[in-house]
Amino acid sequence: MGAPILEIRGVSKRFGKLAAVDDLSLSVQTGAIFGIIGPNGAGKSTLFNLVSGVSRPDSGEILFDGVDVAGWHSDAIARAGIGRTFQNLRLFGYLSARENVMIGGHARLKATLFDSLLNTPRARREERAALSRADELLARFDLAADADRFARNLPYGGQRRLEIARALAGQPQLLLLDEPAAGANAAEKRALVDLVRAINAAGTTVVLIEHDMGVVMELCHRIAVLDYGVKIAEGDGAEVRANPRVIEAYLGTPDA
Amino acid sequence: MHEFLAQLVNGISLGGIYALIAIGYTMVYGIAELINFAHGDVYTLGTFVALAIFGALGISGELHGIALVVDSGLALIGAAVCCGLIGMAMERLAYRRLRNAPRLAPLITAIGVSFILQNLMQLWKGSAPIPFPAVLPNPRFDLGPVSITAQQIAVVALAVAAMFALQIVVTRTRTGAAMRAVAQDRQAASLMGVDVDRTIAITFLIAGLLAGVGGFVSGVYYQSTWFLNGFSAGLKAFTAAVLGGIGNIAGAMLGGFLIGIIESFATWLIGGQWSNVTVFAILILVLVLKPSGLLGERVPEKV
Amino acid sequence: MVYAIAAIVIAFAVAIDRVRTKRTKLLLLAGLAVLLAVAPRLGGSDASVNALVDIGIYVVLALGLNVVVGFAGLLDLGYAAFFAIGAYTYAMLASPQFGLHLPFWVLLFLAAALASLFGIVLGAPTLRLRGDYLAIVTLGFGEIVPQVFQNLTKYTGGPNGIGALDVPTFFGIPFGQSALPYYYVTLAAIALTLLLTNNLRASRLGRAWMAIREDQLAAAHAGIDTTRSKLAAFALGASFSGFAGVIFAAKLSLVSPDLFQFQVSVLVVSMLVLGGMGNIPGVVVGAVLLGLLNGTVLPQLDTIATDVLHVHADLTQASFLIYGVILVGLMLFRPEGLLPDRERRAEMHAAPNEVV
Repeated sequence: MGAPILEIRGVSKRFGKLAAVDDLSLSVQTGAIFGIIGPNGAGKSTLFNLVSGVSRPDSGEILFDGVDVAGWHSDAIARAGIGRTFQNLRLFGYLSARENVMIGGHARLKATLFDSLLNTPRARREERAALSRADELLARFDLAADADRFARNLPYGGQRRLEIARALAGQPQLLLLDEPAAGANAAEKRALVDLVRAINAAGTTVVLIEHDMGVVMELCHRIAVLDYGVKIAEGDGAEVRANPRVIEAYLGTPDA
Repeated sequence: MHEFLAQLVNGISLGGIYALIAIGYTMVYGIAELINFAHGDVYTLGTFVALAIFGALGISGELHGIALVVDSGLALIGAAVCCGLIGMAMERLAYRRLRNAPRLAPLITAIGVSFILQNLMQLWKGSAPIPFPAVLPNPRFDLGPVSITAQQIAVVALAVAAMFALQIVVTRTRTGAAMRAVAQDRQAASLMGVDVDRTIAITFLIAGLLAGVGGFVSGVYYQSTWFLNGFSAGLKAFTAAVLGGIGNIAGAMLGGFLIGIIESFATWLIGGQWSNVTVFAILILVLVLKPSGLLGERVPEKV
Repeated sequence: MVYAIAAIVIAFAVAIDRVRTKRTKLLLLAGLAVLLAVAPRLGGSDASVNALVDIGIYVVLALGLNVVVGFAGLLDLGYAAFFAIGAYTYAMLASPQFGLHLPFWVLLFLAAALASLFGIVLGAPTLRLRGDYLAIVTLGFGEIVPQVFQNLTKYTGGPNGIGALDVPTFFGIPFGQSALPYYYVTLAAIALTLLLTNNLRASRLGRAWMAIREDQLAAAHAGIDTTRSKLAAFALGASFSGFAGVIFAAKLSLVSPDLFQFQVSVLVVSMLVLGGMGNIPGVVVGAVLLGLLNGTVLPQLDTIATDVLHVHADLTQASFLIYGVILVGLMLFRPEGLLPDRERRAEMHAAPNEVV
């Protein structure tokens, strides 16, 4: 592991009187799998929204690869190399699975308006390559048979995988996964763990929000615990589990 | 100075008519989330109905005494009720079925309804401007440097009265509470036992009633109408609603008067042929610069 | 002859929509092109050729608007404004009005560029507005443009417009009074529009539009600059309208503000709704059907009623009643149009509470 790829410094976000994220700082090393846990309403998804440009922090810095991206538009952040999935799935439901993945690769294509208009040889070459890359990704995510189906007609697990495939098509350096194991059965969780490991091994840093402690403990090199928008603990699995404040926050929820 | 005041008075009376239409736009948008494109044509229909009632009563000139009250009251109520029912019918037959359709479907439907209404009025009374009898006596009152006609006072009084009546309905009655609930969150309102269908139907009824009143007033005031009258009047009233802050009744009122005044001054200062251009330019500017309008809180942009 | 050709075009469009392979589609299209190219030689009056040109111009308009409404999902209710800008470009630069006589072929593309420039000027500040607000803004723009042309009498001839426009020439040969040269120009314009819009549909940009239409936030997270992509749709759509405006003006040899009213914009939107937004063969079918109804069927029914049945009818006066009924009826009973694409068919018939 090397320098931090993502460094959050003193970030706050308030909604009315409620501080969803309160003076939060954390740092994710390049190449890591970093977990963010915490009770519902702890500000985990808000943090993802700030990092991916859905909303703008009231204060603080979000350094991605040393550049402050706080307040950038989502598309610029995506192009810079941060990909994400959504807790409540935001697939393009009436487009095919293949089209979803190809759209995910939008930023990696170079065709200009004129290439698109005139269907230049360059655009055609690029499209062919994009198509085969999309099919490769679909195959890797066990979705090859569903390539032509509308995304919304895929089973729930397939939709979750498709969202990750779409995010990966953008070849992000940093991948944010928002509850990837939600609704998964034991076998699916097993497969998810392998998948995330493979993605990480291929060179993508992963930050994941997850409620399933089994998945978190198995995958994450480092874990931050949020409660009421504040980071109450950070460390590896064993450290976090032993932390009295974490136990307090999770009181009554025996895990892992 | 004298001309300035005269134009101001003109603008305020014109604004009263826009306000009556704008309230309908704003209520329907606030509660049913629909730009009822046909609303301007409902307003013109009000003028046509009032005209037909005067025609049926054999009235072609100024009315006095009891006849003034009874006959013009009949025409006013007839126009209002007719427009209210038309509004409800539009909602029931067309818009209701599209409540869950993709966003643009109801708007396209509303344009279709607008075309139908316009064309029916054209087939009814032809394409030429139609004279409206000068039924109300119109004495002038000289107030210092400016003179105001009785009609101008009547227009403003009617518009303001309508707004107050509406505010009372919205803030004091059960129906009003239901309206506010549906405007906030239709699904939650429905879960809490609000009859959403009925509430939206009543909204269309009220919007239509006010448009009908506006149509009557406009006939009396301009003594002329034509089948396409509602197109630009409707757009201006919509501009008024946006300017005031869509969804906000007082805002629609304020916007209506402002648009009336702006139009009046534009006509005076740069010429009548530029008044429409001015108003539509304002519409674009408001939407670009302050889409929530003057009194609105809700920003029309949603993720 | 007009009916026969319209029927042929519709039949081919439906066939092209139905067949699966690209090769068959291209073969059918080539066949249709040949048929249309020889059609005027097989007889038919100049008046019917003229009627076909009018329909053809609507096809170009509908295909262009389809980029904005069908591909990018932005309702543009002021499309006629760009048509007007194109037509007035020709009228002002190729007529005695200013003594300028620029060539038709140059103006075709200059007008397209100018129209797209206006598209950008209008779109840049307004495209982040929500859909129905954008629709009203474009409507306002559509009202302003003809009104400005009407008011600037010194430059535009006011309500009477500009007449005696230059007759285009083709390598020095003037088009003359016949509608036939315009027929071929329009045919070429349709071919070009078909090619370009079909390229767009299947391109990186076209995919970005589909994504924006479905979910703007998710599209942005895929790295799509939503504002720029929408602006591109707006500008491209406008350019087709400007382009068509030049052909329209040159053929009529006259422009006036009343030719570009709101009704024209709605007519073109109706063509998309009727045919099937987003689907190119569907849009062609919609444009041909309504173009035919507007220019040929209604006037003929009037004549039949008056001459044969001896009743005075004015169905052209009722045309907007008919378009209104078409719009409302389609939205209620077949919102995806006659020849929809796969996405719309599914989208329009999804139950509201279907589990996603």
